[in-house]
Amino acid sequence: MRLGLVIDLDTCVGCHACAVACKEWNTSGTTAPLTDYNPYGAKPSGVWFNRIRHYEIGEYPYNKTVNFPMSCMHCENAECVTVCPTGASHKRPEDGIVLVDQDKCMGCNYCSWACPYGARELDRVSGTMKKCTLCIDRIYDMEIPEEERQPACVLTCPAHARMFGDFDDPESPVSRAVRERGGYQLLPELNYDPTNHYLPPRVHAPIPTEGLKKKAAIKVKEWVNRVIER
Amino acid sequence: MATVMEFEDHKKQEIKYSTCYMCACRCGIKVTLEDNKVRFIQGNRNHPINQGVLCAKGSAGIMKQYSPAKLRNPLRRKPGAERGSGEFEEISWDEAIQILTERLAHIRATDPNKLAYFTGRDQMQALTGLWAQQFGTLNWSAHGGFCSVNMATAGLYMLGHAFWEFGDPDWDRTKYFMLWGVAEDHSSNPMKIGLEKLKRNGGKFVGINPARTGYQAIADEWVPIRPGTDGMFALSMVHVLLTNEQFDWDFLLRYTNAPFLVVQTPGQKGDGLLWRDGEGHPLVWDLEQEAFVNGMQPGVKPALFGEYQTPDGRPVRTIMSILADRYLDERYSPVNASKITGIPAETIERLALEMAHVAFQESIEIAVEWTDWAGRKHDRFIGRPVSMHAMRGISAHSNGLQAARAIHLLQILLGTIDCPGGFRAKAPYPKPVPPPNKPAQHSAPNTPLSSLPLGFPTAPEDLVIDEEGRPKRIDKAYSWEAPIANHGLMHMVITNAVNKDPYGIDTLIFFMANMSWNSTMNTANVQEMLKAKDENGEYKIPFLVVVDAFHSEMVNFGDLILPDTTYLERYDSISLLDRPISEPDAICDSIRHPILKPDRNVRPWQDVMVEIAGKLKFPAFTKEDGTPRFSSYKDFIANFERAPGIGFLAGWRGKDGQSHLRGEPNPNQWEHYIENQGFFQYHLPKSMRFYRFANKEYLELAQRIGFNPTADPIIIELYSETFQRFRLAGMGLYDGPCPKDPVDRERLATYFDPLPDYYEPLEQQRIDKKEYPFYAVNQRPMMMYHSWDSQNAWLRQIIAQNYLYMNRKRAEQMGIADKSWVWVESHNGKIRVQVKLIEGCQEDTVWTWNAIGKQSGAWGLKPDAAEATRGFLMNHLISELLPPKQGERRLTNSDPITGQAAWYDLMVKITPAAPGEEGTWPTFPTMKPLPGSAPAPDVLRYHTHEPVNLKS
Amino acid sequence: MHAALAVIFLTLFSGGGFGLMALIAIINDLHIDGGLSPSQTLIGVLLSLVFVTIGMLSSTAHLANPKNAWRAFTRWRTSWLAREGVFAVSFYPFAIGYLVWVFLTGAPDARIGLTLASIAGLLGLITIFCQGMIYAVLRTIRQWNTPLVPANFYAMGLATGATLLAAIRVITGGNASIFIGLAIALIAAVALLKGIYYFWISRPAGPTIHTATGFNRSTVRLLDQGHTFGTFLTEEFGHILPQEKARSIKVLMYLLAVVVPIIALGVSLGAQSVPAVIVAAVSIVVGLGLERWLFFVEAQHVVNLYHGRQRC
Repeated sequence: MRLGLVIDLDTCVGCHACAVACKEWNTSGTTAPLTDYNPYGAKPSGVWFNRIRHYEIGEYPYNKTVNFPMSCMHCENAECVTVCPTGASHKRPEDGIVLVDQDKCMGCNYCSWACPYGARELDRVSGTMKKCTLCIDRIYDMEIPEEERQPACVLTCPAHARMFGDFDDPESPVSRAVRERGGYQLLPELNYDPTNHYLPPRVHAPIPTEGLKKKAAIKVKEWVNRVIER
Repeated sequence: MATVMEFEDHKKQEIKYSTCYMCACRCGIKVTLEDNKVRFIQGNRNHPINQGVLCAKGSAGIMKQYSPAKLRNPLRRKPGAERGSGEFEEISWDEAIQILTERLAHIRATDPNKLAYFTGRDQMQALTGLWAQQFGTLNWSAHGGFCSVNMATAGLYMLGHAFWEFGDPDWDRTKYFMLWGVAEDHSSNPMKIGLEKLKRNGGKFVGINPARTGYQAIADEWVPIRPGTDGMFALSMVHVLLTNEQFDWDFLLRYTNAPFLVVQTPGQKGDGLLWRDGEGHPLVWDLEQEAFVNGMQPGVKPALFGEYQTPDGRPVRTIMSILADRYLDERYSPVNASKITGIPAETIERLALEMAHVAFQESIEIAVEWTDWAGRKHDRFIGRPVSMHAMRGISAHSNGLQAARAIHLLQILLGTIDCPGGFRAKAPYPKPVPPPNKPAQHSAPNTPLSSLPLGFPTAPEDLVIDEEGRPKRIDKAYSWEAPIANHGLMHMVITNAVNKDPYGIDTLIFFMANMSWNSTMNTANVQEMLKAKDENGEYKIPFLVVVDAFHSEMVNFGDLILPDTTYLERYDSISLLDRPISEPDAICDSIRHPILKPDRNVRPWQDVMVEIAGKLKFPAFTKEDGTPRFSSYKDFIANFERAPGIGFLAGWRGKDGQSHLRGEPNPNQWEHYIENQGFFQYHLPKSMRFYRFANKEYLELAQRIGFNPTADPIIIELYSETFQRFRLAGMGLYDGPCPKDPVDRERLATYFDPLPDYYEPLEQQRIDKKEYPFYAVNQRPMMMYHSWDSQNAWLRQIIAQNYLYMNRKRAEQMGIADKSWVWVESHNGKIRVQVKLIEGCQEDTVWTWNAIGKQSGAWGLKPDAAEATRGFLMNHLISELLPPKQGERRLTNSDPITGQAAWYDLMVKITPAAPGEEGTWPTFPTMKPLPGSAPAPDVLRYHTHEPVNLKS
Repeated sequence: MHAALAVIFLTLFSGGGFGLMALIAIINDLHIDGGLSPSQTLIGVLLSLVFVTIGMLSSTAHLANPKNAWRAFTRWRTSWLAREGVFAVSFYPFAIGYLVWVFLTGAPDARIGLTLASIAGLLGLITIFCQGMIYAVLRTIRQWNTPLVPANFYAMGLATGATLLAAIRVITGGNASIFIGLAIALIAAVALLKGIYYFWISRPAGPTIHTATGFNRSTVRLLDQGHTFGTFLTEEFGHILPQEKARSIKVLMYLLAVVVPIIALGVSLGAQSVPAVIVAAVSIVVGLGLERWLFFVEAQHVVNLYHGRQRC
């Protein structure tokens, strides 16, 4: 299995629902808590596994706003795991999920340096690196109803811009979406082979209007009535 | 190395279902609890509104629940302390209720209008309105006057349903969706769910908005429009449709007043009113009979176009003829509209024709047998799959009512009203155009009003004015200044009360309304007004009661503070008598119930209202023996009946809980709701799902369950006779009350156009646009919506400071750099803010996220919070009054028809701040912490159990 | 990249210490310029150990959770950081063994001692390589992802070691001309290699905001980073050094790490001046400290592309 996410940039409205649901689940999750610093003060900050950035593509008036959620890509070539000296960071062979064992991490930050996607954030209070677990404590927990055994971000996404599934299965919805919608990986030149894929905005075909245009101008008084029963 | 799989202990957990209240969307939530703490809030998969999803606010409910800003005890302004000084002392609930009850008893026994009771985003107007009615004061409304009254009124006076919460696009079927000016809305998650459906189905999404953020980000086409010109854009598209004969003949003839005949006698009484027969039926010209016939008769074949003469010699024309004449005029041509809207003429034409193509060439059919209003069977519903949604960007202009009507006109011409793929109604709508209830007009001591304070006027006789034509309401709603102010004018209450115009009041109650900060125009001035004293040293507003759950800026000005519970701690009903959660296919309502025990001395405001109602012996709240009828809000909801069998909750009525929609009170109704995950849903049979304005089965159901008084068909009004009556009053041609002040006469004659029209927003008519060249508007960020959540430890990490967004090229031409500080100045004041240059902003527009700026010390934040030092309010620039004009009394800065606060009409100029001038301005003194409040923590590590680490 | 003092100290001091040990082993092995006297050897090895230890201790100060530092050796098969730890720690018994041997026997050039010294020197050199590779393997940071990094690390470690050794020789009164010559040559190598490195990083070549987002055809600008204030990512990776400031700091770096030490060593070459060699040693350490700082702050992690940087 190769588990991961598909993010649909055509429908992501940038509402941050995924990020907050993630924060909410994971602050009591397997690497809990996700510390917040100065939460009510001048410069609030904290540990998040999922962040949404917003970009503008092109220039006015031909610009498009693209909302861009990013979390761990659970890369096939997970350099964050390769570089980890303690063995805290590991990629599970059975499903490809990259995790950090909080009991082993020494907080050297090296894995975060190796990650191109900004997926890892140090919790300055616990001193350990934290990251998206793909909600491993949801997707395998048999006490959670089956249809809810999904990452919190996918479960909550109001625009259904997030899909979760097995990329090794060519018929899974995620594989199909990538195939049909031209899903792509970020920073392919770095060759990390990220599992998560992004679907580009759809291009809408023009709607024909030429045939609707009347040649002659209409005068109200000359309009011919149609007999229609009220 | 396989991970050892161990999970959190669910045995310690409990799951409860309720309704979210992080915004007005009202999604179903599934809450996992652990030791009276919230482990997880997620969307309820079975809920009709959100179908399992939940937005950022919803998930951040945990942080709202554990906010350090929560009020903890009833408070009284310390004796001797000045109002607004933030000096409070804690008192008991008994004492608080005694103080309030005594005061209210005196007012009620003398002049009930001395109580003004205005509420913020409460969603319990059915209760607060009933309470005010029973108290006997006319001075009640919610905050719709600065929110959405233009949207609601436009729809209810035209379609019988409306944008806002009374209708939805048919997301499953629509192929073309036009969104007018919405960043985030009441329909938060449904909109997101719907947009994804639309795009998945290959539909086109067009966004009309000066800013490309929020939903507009994913629009297939973005139309950057000048703010306040949407009406002209819509009417220009109407021009294109008429020019090319792209309108739905069948729809107009069958369901609208388009063929009705209008009397054309300019300058005479009765001009512009419908020509009716002796029984009051509107007349049409029958093409086969070649005669005038009752237009309400089934089977007539009316002329859509035509000019005729009545037997008594008066010229009459069909509404459609008048309408076509109007909009075919060159004034509305795309070329001319382009000059006003900033949208290229070819875009206007193309978009209109695109919609025509989708409506008429790609129409859909649903094969279902249904019966029309006259009992005729049809074998299918025809759908015109073009839909629209509009909200505050249209609403908050002084031409917003007419603009919203223009948008509806477009929909009507395309035949997309309550049809498959179109703009569908949600129960209890559609209602008659307009709904039949009228506002109460008279108040008397110790007597309930004869009806609710708010209603729907249809003629000058319905205004709430005295014999001299002076307003009887403190907010001047339903006066000549705002005749159809169906949601009141909350934004005028403080100003009018302080100016004793039309009169002074004694007690002002604000519930959940931040009227000293982001919910008011002219914030700094309003704070001064709240503190203003008369010549005797008495406060001009003698007694101010603030009911809130959190330490808002408004709390600081209260004389008496009543702390409310959070949405996870109380009972609530989201009622069909109010603004329910219905979906187009289902009649729905829902509840909240306490799933957490409050950890402080707070009470639900509804319980307090019910208790006070009992103490004051309101008839509806008192038994025949004089004892209180209801023991609590919960008891009230279960047992109160507005009409026999009709109460606040429609599900599981009847003693055994078997009667839905209508039935006797059920003592176990709450338990049924709780068992059913907090909501009730009645799926309409397939035959009742469309064309409900003319759908016999539906209309009969609506009558039976009390939505509508009759099962008569609802006639869609392209042309409003109601408006014409007010216009005639303005011209002195009305058989009934007419205004005396020439200012009112002119306003009525000008703006009460029976056909939707565009006029320049009132403030802009008086502003030198060379001096103030930028339109300035607000939007709401999706992750905050109302931005009350600056207190929210998670949400404020996402946004703790707002910028003034400007078009990059335009700013660079002005020498304004990204992230620099600038002065923004209007006719009313100036502010210093930080700019952010972006592409997605119309060139003549600047905008910001509203209500991010906070007063230092409010909302549990530390005094140096970015919201107070770098965030800002645009409100300082906006006046609640129009710029003065010689020979004219000061007029409200509102829509002249509905009184909707025109806070989007603002024009500003922008100049770079001097080097070193940084930080927001003006700043306000730091609010003092409340007694008993604990300082906010520096580090937050929220969790409900020790983590179960997965070992490698 | 955020330049943490602890990490600067780690490579600066341990690199110098390992370089010093390696040079001691080579000089005593090959009897260059008569080899080192027992006392010079003792001082040199001790200084090497002190430098390495300063480096290693400060590296643990960089750890957010040092109680797990002992685990850092477990993943030596894959992690250059683990390898660094393994080799750095294994350096100690041999370096200390040599120290004790010289102390007890007074014979720095005896076979057993030389074997210990050679192993320590070799382990030190391997550790420097590992340190270089810690950075060089990161594809996320173009400025580091080059063999120039370990080459630079070698040049800097050995130049520091050579300068220290020359200083020891001068202070203890020996003829230092060959050592000074060696130091000057190695410092010149630092100057040259750093020059090549700076030239190499000055050419834009890394990933862009286009490949980061997948939007290749139009301009891409950051509208909002999704959080008003800093996060771990902006604090760790978000450092930006304006070009002009970078240039002047580089001049200062060259002055302190290259020009001053070479002049001071040159002065010492004629005059056997103790103050001059101390100036040279202090200056090169401070100068290379600046170089370390620049090494970090000039490094542009690709995550910055997501925060609006156009190219790394």
